[in-house]
Amino acid sequence: MTTGEKKRVINRVKAMYPLRAKVDESYLRSQEAIKAGKPTVWAMLTFCYGDPILKAMDIEVVYPENYGAALAAAGVAREYLDRSDAEGFPTHLCGYSRANFGYAARLKELGGEIPPEAPMGGMPKPLFLLSSVAVCDARYKWFQALGRYLNVPVWTLEAPLPGIREFQLEGCYEEMVKLAINHLREFVAFVEKAVSRKMDWAKLEETVDLAIEIHRLSHEITELRKAKPCPMHSRDFWSAMPPALFLLGDLKESVQLYRNLYQEVADRVKNGIGAIPEEKYRLVFAELPPWHSLDLFDRLAERGWNFVIESFGYHSPPPMDLSGISDPLERIARFSLQRMVANYKDALAKNVVAGADVYIYLKYVREWKCDGAFLHPLVSCRSASTHLPHVANMLMERLKVPSLMVEGDIVDLRLFNPQDVLTRAEPFEESMEYYRKVRREAGLEW
Amino acid sequence: MTAKGLARVQEIYQDRSRRAKELQSQGKKVIGYPCVYVPLELLTALDVIPYRIYGEMREPVTEADRVLPASFCPIMRSCLDCALKGKHNFLNGMVALHASDPQEKTARIWQSYTTLPYFHFIDMPGTVLPEAVTYFTSQLKGFVTTLESLAGRKLPADSLRKAIEAHNQQRTLVQSLFHLTESSPPLVSGTEIVQVVKAVMSLPVDEGNQLLTEVIDEVKERKDKPPSKRARLLLWGSTTDNADVMAVLESNACVVFAEDCGGYRPYRGSVKLTSEPLNALADYYLNEITCARTFRQTTTSATQKDYLKDLQSRYGYLKRIIADWKVDGVVLLLVRYCDPFAFEVPAVRDYLASISVPSTYIEYDYTEGSLAPMRTRIEAFLETIG
Repeated sequence: MTTGEKKRVINRVKAMYPLRAKVDESYLRSQEAIKAGKPTVWAMLTFCYGDPILKAMDIEVVYPENYGAALAAAGVAREYLDRSDAEGFPTHLCGYSRANFGYAARLKELGGEIPPEAPMGGMPKPLFLLSSVAVCDARYKWFQALGRYLNVPVWTLEAPLPGIREFQLEGCYEEMVKLAINHLREFVAFVEKAVSRKMDWAKLEETVDLAIEIHRLSHEITELRKAKPCPMHSRDFWSAMPPALFLLGDLKESVQLYRNLYQEVADRVKNGIGAIPEEKYRLVFAELPPWHSLDLFDRLAERGWNFVIESFGYHSPPPMDLSGISDPLERIARFSLQRMVANYKDALAKNVVAGADVYIYLKYVREWKCDGAFLHPLVSCRSASTHLPHVANMLMERLKVPSLMVEGDIVDLRLFNPQDVLTRAEPFEESMEYYRKVRREAGLEW
Repeated sequence: MTAKGLARVQEIYQDRSRRAKELQSQGKKVIGYPCVYVPLELLTALDVIPYRIYGEMREPVTEADRVLPASFCPIMRSCLDCALKGKHNFLNGMVALHASDPQEKTARIWQSYTTLPYFHFIDMPGTVLPEAVTYFTSQLKGFVTTLESLAGRKLPADSLRKAIEAHNQQRTLVQSLFHLTESSPPLVSGTEIVQVVKAVMSLPVDEGNQLLTEVIDEVKERKDKPPSKRARLLLWGSTTDNADVMAVLESNACVVFAEDCGGYRPYRGSVKLTSEPLNALADYYLNEITCARTFRQTTTSATQKDYLKDLQSRYGYLKRIIADWKVDGVVLLLVRYCDPFAFEVPAVRDYLASISVPSTYIEYDYTEGSLAPMRTRIEAFLETIG
């Protein structure tokens, strides 16, 4: 990071810190679990689909995607990336996966012992791998490829994703639900066999209720950020999201921590306290942040850039009424599917057929009243990048909001230049100012 | 139409859309598809002409740059680029599916930036579990619904059965064509097969079958057989859609088997004729097409894993091909950013090493400029295998 002195400008929300601490705690728990002879699993982010099952079965979970970000943030990803290259994996693959291949190769080399240089105590050898078809090809092909280093089974969770128009066809949604429920039943049977224990269905019900409550709170906190000035910066969102996104640690504790966060953010709204000293520009960030260069946002905050909404894939789905459904697997299925399909009807009404992940940025910009979009296409993550040129085109055509497109990578810091962003900041501010006038003339409300 | 057999293949290869446009002028509807996972039987049964959409390696990508990032599947970028330049404007519609992320995402962009009267997206599960096959069947039902609207009539059961039979016949014919490369020297070159497959995917199934029959008869009888070369190679990868690529690989070797979507892969096995044809189609396309995009493993619910057994279950079918076609080496050829296949590269090479078959991995960017480095790489590989 070459953005000068590390002056902290963003007014961090205090209640975020205990939530952020749960990430480190999760690695510690997995290491302790192994010592105590309890199972640990490596999982992809499953958007509340597979995680409740594992929680209810008392299985500790670590997330290599998250660990890839941690390696990047700690600035130590490079040697694992180099190892992956040496193992013969193509260099254009997902940066998280490459870091993980390097890590797994080291793990195998050490006979299953955690590499001593691994940050945060490292990830212990798993009992099995839980991959997911959701979001990208990498998230199941990666775990399949880990077979080279880990002789452990892989369970791949399905994630149906029909087109926005095709979703309207009769029976489509119910077929998605049917697939999700049947698939979860098979997954439960697999986990029971893997840990030689039966599912505690009462505990699963409680887990599902807590997970849904955590996501409700997370959603409500995001809604509070529509206030002007925005009380909570994207950096705080990214720091506070893992316990909801990954269902980390004790869920009752998480509920309380998100309540605390909600209260502090609500108090800020009530008292007109913003996340940065002077909010001149409100921005949306898409998609995955440069984990290795996050203090860039302090430099941009000095210029009055407040990041008020971000990263669709990390957000909780809008709440839905599941009170009439008794089967916890059906509750999980419908809740998890909600993340993608919740916006399908609106998207179709606005003739956005390019997917929920495109439509959502129109919604974000309009409802969070953004002046600009910071789009971060990633060299090694096609799924978080492909839609961004289309997002930029739509924001300009429909809402007269300009975008700043800065290419980078989630793990490889050699591919991102924060100084380039700062160089482009002033002309982009002129652009945001200009389009404010254009929007006013076009009768748009911000 | 006067030319027959390989001469006819050449005609079509040079001007792929001509026949589709002729049929369109006679009132037929033509639907484009970018991937071999689309069950063409459903189109054929409703008298809709399937037309395979390919990229154009020699056409610089310009228009797609404004809607797709550069670090993205170059084949899908090229396909979309051609569409944005109006090259597919004659189509009555398009069907794409979730065979890979690039295709899924390109399909959505495609739909947003073009004005085709018909567009359908089929969702595909990632696994071959029974519930996944059931879901895929339901997706095919949805496809039939919109196709029936396009065709203006209901899908007759007997037509679907006949369409399945016709496409099964096509699979058998392509399998027969590949058997003509078993001899040494092979009776037909890998370069010619790329052209044949591409031509067949530009025609209605019956015309494609007629063409294949002519080609097979001609090849069996012809005097100018391809010469013997230094090595017999198997090509493994996503797809090879340009004869120039194969010609580079065949400069000093014979590609006797193409395990990719421009070769044998779409024609393996056959669809079962059952009383549940949609289910049979779902089952065939998910289970039989060995594209890397589908997650497979030895036993789905097994709680133990053995890497070598896993490799055997995923790639074991290659062993018999390698033996029958007397393959000296395997070329893993991928376009850059083809993630599903790229993740498999070390595993495939591990498997091949386990059966003592030399292999090399070559990556290219789907441009003309990538052919010269490819030639150097393949020459270097041939040196190593003697």
